[in-house]
Amino acid sequence: MGGYGDVKLLRDDGLRLDGRKVDEMREVKVEAGILPAADGSAWVKHGLNVAVCAVYGPMEAHPRKIQRQDRAVIDVRYNMAPFSTSDRIRPGYNRRSREISKVTAEALESVVLVERYPRSKIRVEIEILAAEAGTRCVGITAAAVALADAGIPMRDLIVGVASGKIEDTVVLDLDKAEDNYGQADLPMGILPTTGEIAFLQMDGDLSVEEYNTCMEYNLKAAREIHELMVDALKRRYNEKNGGEA
Amino acid sequence: MSGAKEGAELRLVTPGEAIGASSGVRAGTGTLIMGDNIIATKVGWVKENNGVTSVDPIHSAYMPRSGDLVIGIVESVRNNLWFADVNGPFNGLLPMSLAPWKVEFGAARQHMDIGDIMLARVQEVDEAHNIVLTMKGVGLRRLKEGIMSEISMNHISRLRGDADSTLRELKEVSDCRIIVGENGRVWVDGDSDGIAFMRTVIDLVRNEGHMATFSASLGALIEDRRNA
Amino acid sequence: MVELVPSLLRQELAALAANDERIDGRGRWDSRDIKLETNCLYNAEGSAKVTWGDTIIYAGVKFEIRTPWPDRPAQGSLMCGAELRPVAGRKYEPGPPSPQSIELGRVVDRGIRESGCIDMDSLCIIPGEKVLGVMIDIHVLSDKGNIFDACALGAIAALRTAIVPAERFDIGEDYPLAVSMTPTMCSFTRVGGRFVLDANDEEELGGDERIHITLGDEGHLHSLQKGLKGTFTPAEFDEILGIAQQRCAELANLVNSKEA
Repeated sequence: MGGYGDVKLLRDDGLRLDGRKVDEMREVKVEAGILPAADGSAWVKHGLNVAVCAVYGPMEAHPRKIQRQDRAVIDVRYNMAPFSTSDRIRPGYNRRSREISKVTAEALESVVLVERYPRSKIRVEIEILAAEAGTRCVGITAAAVALADAGIPMRDLIVGVASGKIEDTVVLDLDKAEDNYGQADLPMGILPTTGEIAFLQMDGDLSVEEYNTCMEYNLKAAREIHELMVDALKRRYNEKNGGEA
Repeated sequence: MSGAKEGAELRLVTPGEAIGASSGVRAGTGTLIMGDNIIATKVGWVKENNGVTSVDPIHSAYMPRSGDLVIGIVESVRNNLWFADVNGPFNGLLPMSLAPWKVEFGAARQHMDIGDIMLARVQEVDEAHNIVLTMKGVGLRRLKEGIMSEISMNHISRLRGDADSTLRELKEVSDCRIIVGENGRVWVDGDSDGIAFMRTVIDLVRNEGHMATFSASLGALIEDRRNA
Repeated sequence: MVELVPSLLRQELAALAANDERIDGRGRWDSRDIKLETNCLYNAEGSAKVTWGDTIIYAGVKFEIRTPWPDRPAQGSLMCGAELRPVAGRKYEPGPPSPQSIELGRVVDRGIRESGCIDMDSLCIIPGEKVLGVMIDIHVLSDKGNIFDACALGAIAALRTAIVPAERFDIGEDYPLAVSMTPTMCSFTRVGGRFVLDANDEEELGGDERIHITLGDEGHLHSLQKGLKGTFTPAEFDEILGIAQQRCAELANLVNSKEA
């Protein structure tokens, strides 16, 4: 978290700078099957964040040393496009994207029935085209929809959501200013049907009570986004729609 | 599989969605028992048949099973065997002993080279997903002419129809030889006009195979062809 | 990953070519449908999305303030790069930029740079101290053939809608980047023995060499590239250059129709 104190993030009427209530998330849109070259794909717009995900596989895992005899390996690449942030990012992997890729892969392995495909690899390519705080969560949501679109068996979808703290107040779904100047951020990957958590990170400062409120907000948001994911998958197959990316 | 989308009970489910109580039913493909519920593991249409609940998926990868008729592309050749891409997660292996020719050690390439197309059967799939192919059997051969195309696994039944009725009709109106592999590859051979017609049919399957209007659209294509 | 070329595909493409037909029913000089959207990326100063048949690419423009090169103290700079990341298709693998993606970026870069559509002197803020760097990044999301033309179209369209964020750099008010021309690219691939415009993925897989032609407003040549194994004759080039003259003008009109 970037620090706090001098930047005002809550208005006098208790609303946030962009007019949202403390437990209100940004607008979310989901489309499935938008990349013709991929086996499965998704596009998620969350606030001003845009993530696109392509899934390829299952395919033979190369090199051999990454193969697992009893299950599939999920190979996630989370990447921010050079033009996705206000200062251009140099293309290529960095420590941040590697860490996010690793924990995202492990979260997805918790819902995908990986034991069905021994020795194989499922490639999950998450590309962030526009970033405005919370991209790892948007990436997880996109990955879940793309995996389902690819016909990869899963015991549940997984939804990326985050809550945090600004001006000593717990709020759902931090935007860029709130992320930069807030006091805490708690991103999670939640299984919407069972309420289990497959992805968890946090930084900042939260009391146990504040954590509990964050958790409650995250669960609520996960259910709302889940409906949009289901709707996107069903729309894709009930009618042939172009989708926008 | 084929009728599921046009039946009376159309229910499209997504992974994690509870389909019903797990007591008294068996969990078929595309489903899983979680506590008291049967849940879907894929996007697809719910199907119930003889006490088995399953999900007819809209998209899934080819998983080879022994006995499958497949169309493979030779990916590499060794002295005494071929590796073929069978559109699955792993390559199939055709040993010299299961080839239709008498092959001398080191002469495998003279019979079938990289990029060549084979009609083969899956002889065996072991637990580690090693796939052994055979070309010993009636009609199994190298496909030297014609065109090869790919369709989604779940559209195979659309192209075949009930008891291959659609496939027979297509063969008749196109005057082509057509083979639909279990691995989603389709081979067509005939004159250029018949092949062009089958290309249109395969495009229709690819683009509209999942839609309820598919049968009507295909019927119209066939009708046009008959009247032409 | 090296893509496997089915022998039947090459035979099929040759048979179609003999009848002057194409695998997807198009005529030899027909393009697939193109959809161009601009200003579609929130954090880019100029952006475009190109949907070219089933090929999808994004291009985004960013600016930076930098010190000029010592030998050109009063000139800004332009850089165009393309990323062919594994998202774009099954055949693409992770790792450092591949020769293919470097070629793609450089061919697009040359077409834009050599057309002179950006006046490098106009990018100077304080000679010898501060100049603007213009960076175009192209991101291929779905490769279903002819990414070159899609990338070139996206790059020039993004550039033509770019706004210099002068306020953020403390150098005055934001202003549109001056772009004086609309260079566009036309690519031809040898399929079944003869060249066709705008090859799709199957035609590329079963085809041979390709030729990329970038033309400016007056039909002048600004960038040429021949890729992959194969040779062509001067007569063949004359023929496709004639097609490129018409086609590039149409593409330029499409870009110009998007300007605000």
